[in-house]
Parts: sequence; C-alpha cells; structure tokens
Amino acid sequence: MAATTAAAAALSSLSFLSPNPPISFLFPKSTKPFFLSGSFRSLSLSLAPPRAKASDIDTAFFDDLDPEEEVVFDPPTPPEGFTPPPAFDDGPDETEDDIAAAYEELYGPAYSGVSVLGNDVFVMDSKVKKTSAFGKVKKEKVRDGFEERVVQVRRVTKVVKGGKQLHFRAVVVVGDKQGQVGVGVGKAKEVIGAVQKSAVNARRNIVTIPMTKYLTFPHRSEGDYGAATVMLRPAAPGTGVIAGGAVRIVLEMAGVENALGKQLGSKNALNNARATVVAVQKMKQFREVAQERGIPMEELWK
Amino acid sequence: MARRYWNINLEEMLEAGVHFGHGTRKWNPRMAPYISAKRKGIHITNLTRTARFLSEACDLLFDAASKRKQFLIVGTKNKAADSVARAAIRARCHYVNKKWLGGMLTNWPTTETRLHKFRDLRTEQKTGGLNRLPKRDAAMLKRQLSRLQTYLGGIKYMTRLPDIVIIVDQQEEYTALRECITLGIPTICLIDTNCDPDLADISIPANDDAIASIRLILNKLVVAICEGRSSYIRNP
Repeated sequence: MAATTAAAAALSSLSFLSPNPPISFLFPKSTKPFFLSGSFRSLSLSLAPPRAKASDIDTAFFDDLDPEEEVVFDPPTPPEGFTPPPAFDDGPDETEDDIAAAYEELYGPAYSGVSVLGNDVFVMDSKVKKTSAFGKVKKEKVRDGFEERVVQVRRVTKVVKGGKQLHFRAVVVVGDKQGQVGVGVGKAKEVIGAVQKSAVNARRNIVTIPMTKYLTFPHRSEGDYGAATVMLRPAAPGTGVIAGGAVRIVLEMAGVENALGKQLGSKNALNNARATVVAVQKMKQFREVAQERGIPMEELWK
Repeated sequence: MARRYWNINLEEMLEAGVHFGHGTRKWNPRMAPYISAKRKGIHITNLTRTARFLSEACDLLFDAASKRKQFLIVGTKNKAADSVARAAIRARCHYVNKKWLGGMLTNWPTTETRLHKFRDLRTEQKTGGLNRLPKRDAAMLKRQLSRLQTYLGGIKYMTRLPDIVIIVDQQEEYTALRECITLGIPTICLIDTNCDPDLADISIPANDDAIASIRLILNKLVVAICEGRSSYIRNP
C-alpha cells in the first residue's frame, strides 16, 4: 500500500509543477519521492523534463517483505447487485466516428487531422516553436536564474576519408550562487552552438551542494571520475576559493565562498569538473548524519 | 486511497494461466518473493500477491483517471498487439502496439514533429491533395502516411507526456521502461519470472506469454480507468 499512497501523493502533485527537495535520506517508511526529481526547476519555459535521480530510489519497500509470509488477499466485499462489466473484446463494436468523438472529447483534436466535434484541427500549431523563421531565431537568453560559465572549449577532429571534420566541444558549468550546480558538455560545428548545447546538458544534471552558513563545506571529501581525483576541504571564512581551473569554476558557480580544492589525478578539465560534483554529492550535512545515527549534533562536533 | 472492489477472482486467473512463469533456468532471483512453487521446470507465481498488486494498480488507475491524467499502454509482442490496441481504444488511452521507437518520450519534441507531419498528411489525404500530385510523389506520401499510422497511430491524440505508463512485457519493452524511469513517469508493468520487479513502480507478477492472461489483466486495468473517468464526470 505504501507504493500506491506514495504514487497517489506523487500524482496529486504532478498536476502542478512544484519543486520537491529530495528527502529520500529520511526515515525509510517515508513517502517515495522518486517520481519527482530534486532538480525540478519548474518554469513553464523550461525544456528539461523531470529526471529521477539515483538517490531517489527507495529500496526500503522490500525490507519488510517476508518471502515466507502468508499473504492474504482480502478484497473489499462486492457492492450489491454487482455485475462484472464486459471485457473490452466483447461489447458493442464502436464505429470509427464514435471512437474519434470520444477521444476528441477527452484530448481535443490533437494530431488526428480530423475533427468530429468541430474543434480546430490545427490547434497544435501554436505550440510549435518558430524554427523556420528567417535569419537567426532569437533564443531567450535569460533562463531561470542560472549563470553559465565556459570551462573549456576544444577543437576536436574526426578523420574521415575526405579529410578532417572539425567540431568544437564546450564544457560549461551552470549554477545559481545558492548551492545548485551542473556540469554539461556539448559538441557542435560552431563554438556558440556547442556552448548552448552544453548549457542545456548542464541544466539536466544539477546537484545541490550542502553548505554551512559560512558558505563552506561541512567536511572534507574526495571524489573521482575517470582518472581525475579531486580533494575538497572546508575553510574558515575569509579564505576564498583556493582551487585550480575547473574545480574553482564549479565551486564559484555553486556559491561556495571558502574552500580548498586540489586536483590530485589527471588534469582533464571535464573529468575534474565531474569529479568535484561527485565529491560534493558524497557530502552530508551535520543535521542529516545526526538524524540517521539518532544522536544529537553536539556529539558530532566533538 | 480508497480500496474498491475490482472483481479479481483467483479462479479466473488460474483459468487464464496467469500463474505460469517462464522456465526455471531463466528466472531472475529478485522475483523470489513472488514465486510460490516450481512445477515441471516452470516457476509458478504466487497468485495472492498478484491479486494484491493488481487491485492496488487498479486503485491507482481509478484515482488517476478521476483526476484526468493521461495513460499510455505499451505492448509490442505480436500476440498481444491486437488486444493492446482494443483495450486502449476501449479505455480511451494512448497506446503503442507496433515497435516502440527509441526516444519516443525522452525525445518528445522530435516525436511531436513527426506527429505534426502525420496530421498534415492526413489532412491532405482528406482534402484530396494527394490526387493532384504526380503518381510517384503521391505514392511516396502514402507510404509515409501508412508508416506513421502504424507507429504513431496510437499516440496521435497525445499532446504532452503521459502521466502513467502501462507496460505489458518488461523484457520486450525494456527501452520504454528505461525512458519512463529517466523521465520519472510512474509505470505499471506486467512482470514475469525473468524480469526485474524493482524497475517499475507497480509490478504485477503475471504470465506475459499467454494471450488470455494479458487480456485478463488488461481488462481489469481498463475497467478501472473507465470507472475512474466516469467518476470524474459526476463530480468535476
């Protein structure tokens, strides 16, 4: 039943877009928020669909499922005069018009091209973005409060029979300075196109950074991605961000003011950016740890 | 969520053969809680669990339908394709019964482009625009139209991503399931003994080989959707 109550709760909030912070680390019997992702930046212009994150998976559902347990199926009693409804195969055959009318009543004419009830057949055209405009299409520059910074633009080559095909690969870090960052890559034949693609990609994988009130980390951590290892350490206020290249940009876009970071392994910018994200995801707030372990926070400060 | 009576008989399910699983060698050990016995090299699923999950799924569909959510039924096995289409038409939901094109949901803008083209071709066909073209062009457009009709015919009324997706065979529709997981769409899946029950949100352990069992389960779900819709009309 936990599944369906959670599903119903999720569905009732599906009807209006609302940011839902991931609370999956809390008590195991809590409602499962894995239908909505934590990074649900909800503007009506946002193209990124809600993504479920690995941290949202609640596998506690099967913890108290005992395979030997005798499962009793006790349906509620049938209401009086209950006749089983006909199967979808038997039952009167509906004409195409009937079916079309029923569908149109529910969904509008959509893409069917016919309109039995007299609705406008081309109702979906207004939803199409004008991609066939002459000249350049003005894309909205200002999007949901995220700032973009380009970490690296490289020219990469693919060698084919006719010669070399050149593309540009851009690595971009996107963040508001409030603790949300995302790293994205994109490739295109033009630098600007690549930067735009990577920004879109970055907005799809956004992480929240746990920060203390002095805008630094709760504790040190290491993260690796590929051959790049990054070590992050909190610092006293007034230190500033002391880190190199990609790591510095990620931390700055996250809004972290004081931190120390070092690239220990490879110096590849993209992998280091991803490694910082990994390192940051491993961090926990003091509050969370205290709750998980069931001890007061004063114990952790000793 | 209120539990309602869905006319789920264990005898009916036994008759339809819902309890048969796949061969013993092909099982997924995560299905162990749902398997009750092994007979003649075939796993037998625990029907009480199936009935419980089925009634929960029906409750969920009833609630969702009464809140005007959109459903999508995916079933591409040749045996089940026909019944999936009929069940979906009966329940007035979208359906996919031919091959599930990769990226149908995750690449929704591109699918929308195809749907636009489908709609334009159909309007042209209705207004007779195809007869004015030379024969070769008309033949090409007709071929395109028939192609779009087979693959996208079931989703031509879909204006946005569905809210619940019902998948008939998890092994067969693995791509569809993966897409729903990345998008965070709740799924109801018919699980057999060789499938993974943790992937879908509500997994109904049942037999996905026998047409009778697929029809029975689809029937119950469709009834739930229809009832939910009608309960919406009574109190909007």
